[in-house]
Amino acid sequence: MTATGIAIAPRALMAGDTAGAINAQEVIDRIRKSVGVDWKPEAVDKFKAGDPQTRVTGIVTSSLASLEVLEAAAKIGANLIITCEPTFFSKAETPLASDPVFQSKAEFIRKHNLVVWRFSDHWRLRSPDPFAQGLAQQLGWVKFFDPQNPTLITIPGMTLAALTTHVGKSMKIRGGLRVIGDPKLQVRKIALLPGSTPIQVSIKSLPGADAILAGEVREWETVEYVRDTVDLGGKKALLLTGRVVSEDPGMAICAQWLNSIVPEVPCKWITTGDPYWRPVA
Amino acid sequence: MSVLTAGEVIARVKANLGVAWRDTTYRDTFKFGGPDTVVRGIATTMFCSYDAIRRAVEAGCNLMIPHEDTYWSDRDDVSMVSGDPAYKLKVDFMREHDVAVFRIHDHMHAQRPDFLYVGCARALGLESRYETAPQSHHFTLPPTTLGELATTFQKRLGAKALRVVGDPKAKVSRVQLGVGYATPNISSPDVDVVVSGEQQENDGAFDSPAYVLDAAKLGIPKGWIMLGHTVSEEQGMLEMADWMKKFTPEVPVQLVRTGEPFWAPGEGK
Repeated sequence: MTATGIAIAPRALMAGDTAGAINAQEVIDRIRKSVGVDWKPEAVDKFKAGDPQTRVTGIVTSSLASLEVLEAAAKIGANLIITCEPTFFSKAETPLASDPVFQSKAEFIRKHNLVVWRFSDHWRLRSPDPFAQGLAQQLGWVKFFDPQNPTLITIPGMTLAALTTHVGKSMKIRGGLRVIGDPKLQVRKIALLPGSTPIQVSIKSLPGADAILAGEVREWETVEYVRDTVDLGGKKALLLTGRVVSEDPGMAICAQWLNSIVPEVPCKWITTGDPYWRPVA
Repeated sequence: MSVLTAGEVIARVKANLGVAWRDTTYRDTFKFGGPDTVVRGIATTMFCSYDAIRRAVEAGCNLMIPHEDTYWSDRDDVSMVSGDPAYKLKVDFMREHDVAVFRIHDHMHAQRPDFLYVGCARALGLESRYETAPQSHHFTLPPTTLGELATTFQKRLGAKALRVVGDPKAKVSRVQLGVGYATPNISSPDVDVVVSGEQQENDGAFDSPAYVLDAAKLGIPKGWIMLGHTVSEEQGMLEMADWMKKFTPEVPVQLVRTGEPFWAPGEGK
């Protein structure tokens, strides 16, 4: 494959490149046209690094464009990275002039002629919710997934302890999984709330579910709400996987979708992995 | 026997605080009951959880002094939860047992020293001789590794669901302590490890987990240890109880622990 060679070649050499070529801007234009959501100019979904005119050799999606993901992308010859979360360590992605981590990351992107584009706000609004769908897929529950009601899934009953083990294994969670509830609780109905979940959504979702499976919540909100509900006799539970881990499967769905709308280049999901670990007691 | 009211207790808190009371606070107010409640005992706690209230009542206390909220949002917005069964049961229990709740958050953080930091540093074993400058919450420890540091903290706190980002083998010594949601920025050049309670993982003012992941990949020694919101601040409510004892001698004062809410796979509950 010549993709890697093209990716690191000086851009001037690529002007007037072969027919069938597609540049990063054209990929994004196609996403805008196909996603089925009205485009909002104020959204975070923008180019974060690289030249939009770069000819795309391959696309990688991930929850977070970490250096590890960028390196893995470059290795397989992909040069357009589509990330759900910020690449440069804040919502604003403000450049950090004298910071060694920021500088090294920016330099890696330049050196490998990568383009990074964030895809979060609009992808989240797509129907059915691709992040909930991704979770269902990752957990082996595709046949239970209801596109009409994507954030509530009904599975054959299992205990909270068994569910915790299943979630940990299926999502390859190292240390980020935290649980509230009786391990013996029977769980059938699960609210799939990947990403960041405010209390308003938890209060709406918990009555109709046995458990909430979320990425992150505020501890003074949903954590205490579920704790109180359980201590007051409610047969409920909360599982928190961490935000990046919870959103990663939704970016796998994104890669599947991109393969259908951008047939010119291969698109692959590369998992960010669980950033957390826990000391062995 | 003279009668001590909740209003009188709060007046004494204000008088002893050492900082001017800001009436504009929405946090530091009565959340249930009121100033006329006759106080039998005082319980400081981290979150005003139902279970903490129940155990406080069992211990003879009916004035709760939590650092955090009662109704699952920072503003204790009751309109949002008034239809929820847990809200009704919790409020009914408090009414039945004549409980009053007064939150103290903003003024605890404004007070010097800030008890939340004192308590957390004490529990972690971050002795003042290691603190770079008084109340900087910045400690220079004898050189260790991130893995050893995290294991030590976990053992000292007995925390089940502590989470760490970074290379366990990274050589570290400079620790910046945060508590609650006041998590310091890990990118500071004079900080190897941030220890705190809770922080938004991504898409915030500074995404420390993402930064530490990349730093670790580059071999730059950085670590991020999250104790959990309750674990990080509950220690300071012991300081708060000891402080209140000095000016409320009429009634017993004690810490009633909210306790870590989570369990983690592998250790059961």
